[in-house]
Amino acid sequence: MNARTITVNCVSAAGATMAAFLLSTGAYAQTHRTERHFAVEGKPVVTVQNPSGHILVKAWDKHEVMVVGRFAASSVEVDTEQVGNRIEVATHVGDPHASGGDTKTDYEITVPTETELQVRTDSGNVTIDSVHGDVSFDSVTADLALQDVEGYLAIKTIGGSTICTRCAGRMDANSISGNFQLIQPVMDNVRVQTSSGNILFDGSFLSRGIYVLKNYSGTIEVRFSSNDSFDVNASSLFGNVVNQAPVVPDRHQMRAPKYPPNGMAQSLFGSMNEGHAKVELSSFSGTIKILKRD
Amino acid sequence: MQCVQFDKTVENEPDGPLPADAILHLETCPDCRLLRSDLDVIRAASREWGAEELVPPPAIWVALRAQHESEGLIHGPQVPTHVQLGDSVGGKSWLTALLGGSGTSAPRLSLAGAGCLLLVASALLGLQLRMYSGNVSSNAGSGGVLARVLPAADSASASPLLGLDLHQTLEGDMERVMASLPGQNASLAMSLEENLGIVDHLIAACEKSMREQPDNPAVRQYLYGAYQQKAVLLATAIDRTTLEDR
Repeated sequence: MNARTITVNCVSAAGATMAAFLLSTGAYAQTHRTERHFAVEGKPVVTVQNPSGHILVKAWDKHEVMVVGRFAASSVEVDTEQVGNRIEVATHVGDPHASGGDTKTDYEITVPTETELQVRTDSGNVTIDSVHGDVSFDSVTADLALQDVEGYLAIKTIGGSTICTRCAGRMDANSISGNFQLIQPVMDNVRVQTSSGNILFDGSFLSRGIYVLKNYSGTIEVRFSSNDSFDVNASSLFGNVVNQAPVVPDRHQMRAPKYPPNGMAQSLFGSMNEGHAKVELSSFSGTIKILKRD
Repeated sequence: MQCVQFDKTVENEPDGPLPADAILHLETCPDCRLLRSDLDVIRAASREWGAEELVPPPAIWVALRAQHESEGLIHGPQVPTHVQLGDSVGGKSWLTALLGGSGTSAPRLSLAGAGCLLLVASALLGLQLRMYSGNVSSNAGSGGVLARVLPAADSASASPLLGLDLHQTLEGDMERVMASLPGQNASLAMSLEENLGIVDHLIAACEKSMREQPDNPAVRQYLYGAYQQKAVLLATAIDRTTLEDR
């Protein structure tokens, strides 16, 4: 890339940022804003219920939960309640005839790091950053971005996709058409199922870890490094299994699963290195890829 | 073959066909014949017990309703002493009746009722799918996989629940729930419809595979999983009929 290209790109990026800032400022010029503060101790539980909009949850070191809500419609109210260490935030729409766009409410919520979160939404997107308590997420189409979170992650979406970057702990996730991307996870128990979405697991398989990834169609891709140690059982009944791992027959004398000879099922069963982790990949008609990380 | 080897053969493949040497041994060993005979009886009895599990007495429905009403979880018109899934009750569906909805307004489906529904549906699905492996016929009609699991004569003489077509019932309830979604949120309804199409497509694909490979347990598991996904979708849709009212 030459200097001219860099200059053009920088100008473009600056312009885009400025435009986004102006647009957002213009949009919020007509919005209502509400801000609430709640003093908490220890590990609070924060519940957020918002049909539509953007939710950003981030952690700080204070023993306080701060909720900032922004909404355009006058019929929208932000209800909050505190009972001890439990904080509830809910969007209430007074006008039953208000359209989905009118009820859109954006939240910026700042919580103590160890907070347990329960988020329920229909559409929009949710970002959770650096929270180390358990997270429960229930959405229809909203996308979820998790970053540097720790704990038990229970995720249920219908069409929303999930990107989990540097997540630690355990994950139990289910979707119908949503995609899942786990980037650099540090998790020892991962169970992800999506019907038609794709699943990407790009990280290390921890010793004693169990990783169960399943879909019906779409692609399941896991990336491994040469140091990884896992037993793998991958099967696609009517799809393909693409493998780059130097798998040897199972080191633990486990019986290979039996598949009736339909002439189509593809499967892979064996160990890589000592087989410390357990990796189960299954698809009905999708493609399973076990690829070496670059 | 010796008796010890015969025992191991039966232990390893209790439901499978006996190998030739085991059959030869049976002809000469009365003890092993008796053992084999006992196993056949046990197997037959277990099948009957499995079938009996599908016949909950009507009193259970009454007790279930009474319990939920006493706890304030559901309310509404009385459900008759026996409820057949898919039947109408006074012009309303059993679902609406069970969950306390009104036939003219959008049903107010309680989560407790929805949970109850899904529990029953899941249990029935599990039972029926287990039976599917034993009773499926390759030239069955096209009335949905769950409609084909029992012969017509059996369904007529057994509990009302045995004759139900859960597949069609789920379809009908899904339509009712979708119709009751908050009208102002078209994108929500559209997304649920779209994903319903995806799940239905998967179910159809699994059913087709099931017909082609009736003995493949993996296919059966996928079919079961697809129905579970549909139940999840139904639960979510029910949930969203009330989310924005709270």
